[in-house]
Amino acid sequence: MAGYNKKEEHAHAKAEVHNHGEEHFREKHLMLDPLPRGQMNDMVMESMYVTSWKFWVVFAILSVIVAYGLFFSWGKMIAEGLGIAGVNRPSYWGIFLVNTVFWIGISHAGTFISAILRVFKAEFRRPFTRAAELMTTFGLVQAGFSVFMHMGRVWLSYWLMPYANQRMLWPNLHSPLTWDLLAITTYLLSSTMYLFLPLIPDVAMARDRSTGWRKTFYKILALGFRGTEGEWAHLRNAMNIFAFAIIPVMFSVHTIVSWDFAAATRPGWNSSIFGPYFVVGALHSGMGAVIMVLAVVRGTMKNMKYFIRAEHFDGIGRLMLIISMAWAYFFFNDYMVQWYGGDKWTQQLLHFHEAGPMGWMWFAMLIFNVVVPWAILWNQKWRSTPWIVFVVGFLINIGMWFERYIIVPISLSINRMPFTWRLYEPGVEIPLGIGTLAFFILLYMAASRLIPLIPVWEVQEGQMAHELKKFGRETVVSVSELE
Amino acid sequence: MIRPEEIKMSAEHVGKWGMVIDQDICTGCQACVAACAMENNISFVGEKDSGYGRSMHWIRIERFWEGEYPEVKMTPNQPMLCQQCNSATCEPVCPAFATVHSQAEQLNLQIYNRCVGTRYCGNNCPYQVRSFNWRDYERPEPLSNQLNPDVTVRRMGVMEKCTFCIQRIHKAQDKAKAEGREVVDGEFTTACAQACPASAITFGRVDDPESLVSQLAQRGHGLKHLEELGTLPNVTYFKGG
Amino acid sequence: MADNISSKENSGQVSLLAVFPDLAPAADAIDQLRALGLSDDHMNVISGIPVTEAMLGRPAQWTNVPRLAGGGAALGFLAGAFLAFVTPYLYPVPIQVGRQAFIPGPPTVVVLFELTMLGMLLSTFLGVFLDSYFPNYRPMEYVKEVSDGKIAIFFICPEESKEKFTKAMTALGAEKVEVAEVEHL
Repeated sequence: MAGYNKKEEHAHAKAEVHNHGEEHFREKHLMLDPLPRGQMNDMVMESMYVTSWKFWVVFAILSVIVAYGLFFSWGKMIAEGLGIAGVNRPSYWGIFLVNTVFWIGISHAGTFISAILRVFKAEFRRPFTRAAELMTTFGLVQAGFSVFMHMGRVWLSYWLMPYANQRMLWPNLHSPLTWDLLAITTYLLSSTMYLFLPLIPDVAMARDRSTGWRKTFYKILALGFRGTEGEWAHLRNAMNIFAFAIIPVMFSVHTIVSWDFAAATRPGWNSSIFGPYFVVGALHSGMGAVIMVLAVVRGTMKNMKYFIRAEHFDGIGRLMLIISMAWAYFFFNDYMVQWYGGDKWTQQLLHFHEAGPMGWMWFAMLIFNVVVPWAILWNQKWRSTPWIVFVVGFLINIGMWFERYIIVPISLSINRMPFTWRLYEPGVEIPLGIGTLAFFILLYMAASRLIPLIPVWEVQEGQMAHELKKFGRETVVSVSELE
Repeated sequence: MIRPEEIKMSAEHVGKWGMVIDQDICTGCQACVAACAMENNISFVGEKDSGYGRSMHWIRIERFWEGEYPEVKMTPNQPMLCQQCNSATCEPVCPAFATVHSQAEQLNLQIYNRCVGTRYCGNNCPYQVRSFNWRDYERPEPLSNQLNPDVTVRRMGVMEKCTFCIQRIHKAQDKAKAEGREVVDGEFTTACAQACPASAITFGRVDDPESLVSQLAQRGHGLKHLEELGTLPNVTYFKGG
Repeated sequence: MADNISSKENSGQVSLLAVFPDLAPAADAIDQLRALGLSDDHMNVISGIPVTEAMLGRPAQWTNVPRLAGGGAALGFLAGAFLAFVTPYLYPVPIQVGRQAFIPGPPTVVVLFELTMLGMLLSTFLGVFLDSYFPNYRPMEYVKEVSDGKIAIFFICPEESKEKFTKAMTALGAEKVEVAEVEHL
């Protein structure tokens, strides 16, 4: 009996801890820390209105970089030809395609977070789905820029569209590039629509509490949304369809991008695992980019510390760790089979990757993509700290860019005609690449002041669904399924 | 309309025009390279771009050696040009149908005005014989006066490659047709074969067993480059014979 | 449905907006309105979060979005089939590339998939516009409190019983009941 009493006492003490714990839960979880909707609306509106002088300084610098790096350099390249870039024989594809793959990779994060996490009802997604979806759309814009820069005669790029040109010629459906065009167009359109649908109620909210040009802007965007039962029903239905349908589209996009390489008769490229390997790689860099964006948004925008909390970095950090493991698995799988195959050209290529003049890049890729995330993200405290995950996300993005650089120009340096082996040295690709990066940040900065970055109605819906529930003496978080 | 099954798809199917290159008698004099450039209006890229892998020759002489200096042993020169593969890997990857297989000549065509410059064909050519117009290169006087009127002058942003001097094929066919006869073997040849002082290059109909090129090709120890890829090239090489 | 009921429909009637702070009183209010003789067609709920019909005991909303999505998918599939199966034969001589069949097998699957998805998602998006009459910039009955999380019940009642309805709504916890004002959204 004494033992029983002791147990009870112990349990009593524990219950007291948990009573303190409710406050602790509130602090930790946005979903358990509800504020009146009106207050959240005001906070989100304020975050769009308040801009410090630093914002405009950065904005101006980026505008100059975009004007020079992107538009002037591109114009120059169109006038003078691709000769001012670094592409040559055998590296017919250079940093342009590295950047295309990189930006399409970044764009996968938005869909992953807002569609896959929505389908699986991962509640921590709620405050940052839009922040991630914006990356999808703006990342695809940069991918578009990069792939058009790559073309020798970009002024004729409309010939690739699926229509009969003046010679009654349709595009060649045998070509992976045609599939790419179809897939990227589908993805760009559907991710933009998927960004817009959940935005409608939020711009309607912004319309109700703004004046002047903003009022006009939000009024046009809100399309006259009031929130009637019918409007919500149509919207809910459509978002549901999108959440499910956009996932296979997302997978198809990066798989087809990988087929640009895998379908080619080249050592190192002709690998059947490239599809999933690229998809996982895309998610790897995409999640790294999301966490960087969230850290910056939280650190620089007003009121964001309420919406974006340590728990969100923790959640994304956990996903990053899993994706890093998946990436390592696919990388090793690809490497193992290529190595074992023993084809002399592939052997040459693998040796060139590791021990060639750019061998440092191969090792840096492995350190940034595998060692760094594994060493840091296992620790919950570290992965909940914004600046630490910012650094990890940054390094992962460098590593993933290196991975694409190794796959494109470095692997192209080695082929079956040793007479043509030659290294690739980037030329005007560098300002152009920096230009796309600057343009991405610029678009994101502009969007952060123009559209509500937090889907307030989704946050409120989540807060309504969450409550603390007692199981015996233990308090746990419980979520109701509202839909 | 031609149905797909009417096109012979068997691996044994030989092309129409072909070439035999005897590496053992090639002196590496580069006359073929010069003749090809003259015949086909190839741009003069200049030393700098050429050194950076942007030379645009449709035929090149590859020189290799074995061993370490000073114990080097030269291996036979290897003229490399478009192999006019019967199953060309460059063709399906072009999104704009700029490189296709011609039904009449059984050659691998490059159609300059369809090309948008994705350069996928260049990547996917295992022989690396395609050249891209990275810039509009100048043709200093008096070279600007020697352009061949039978060949399109290419501008920047398009891919190009050896055509087996298709303009000469057509000229010979037109002449024979006007005279009401078939094209005779040896009646014409490509610019590279014509210029070769050692007669290392022979061009002709490979589907005609009586032609010189077929006779040479059947000598026994000919090889096709990268045969293992299944590209079915129309160029046969002889080395160490 | 009641999306488009307008206050000017009948001169003998008036449209009222009752604003409730929460779901439970709003649900009670709807029951009360029915008890007072209003049919479901004469009411509508305006809310700032998606309130399901079941929460308020309202009849399920009819939506064409899934049907339109299906139709769009079919159209997209047809467009893909045209590209994949018809265009290779639109030339005097089919174009032969790399010894592949004129209609290549696996690439056809890719084209069909992408265009089906594109058709489906485009028509889902357009379906929202069609079903909700977007964009619609005409003045509509609305209260701004809705986007602050309040639930507004909008209903039409006979002019003479306006008082009765107002009282009933206030008794159930309505924060305000007023004649629905047409707002320029």
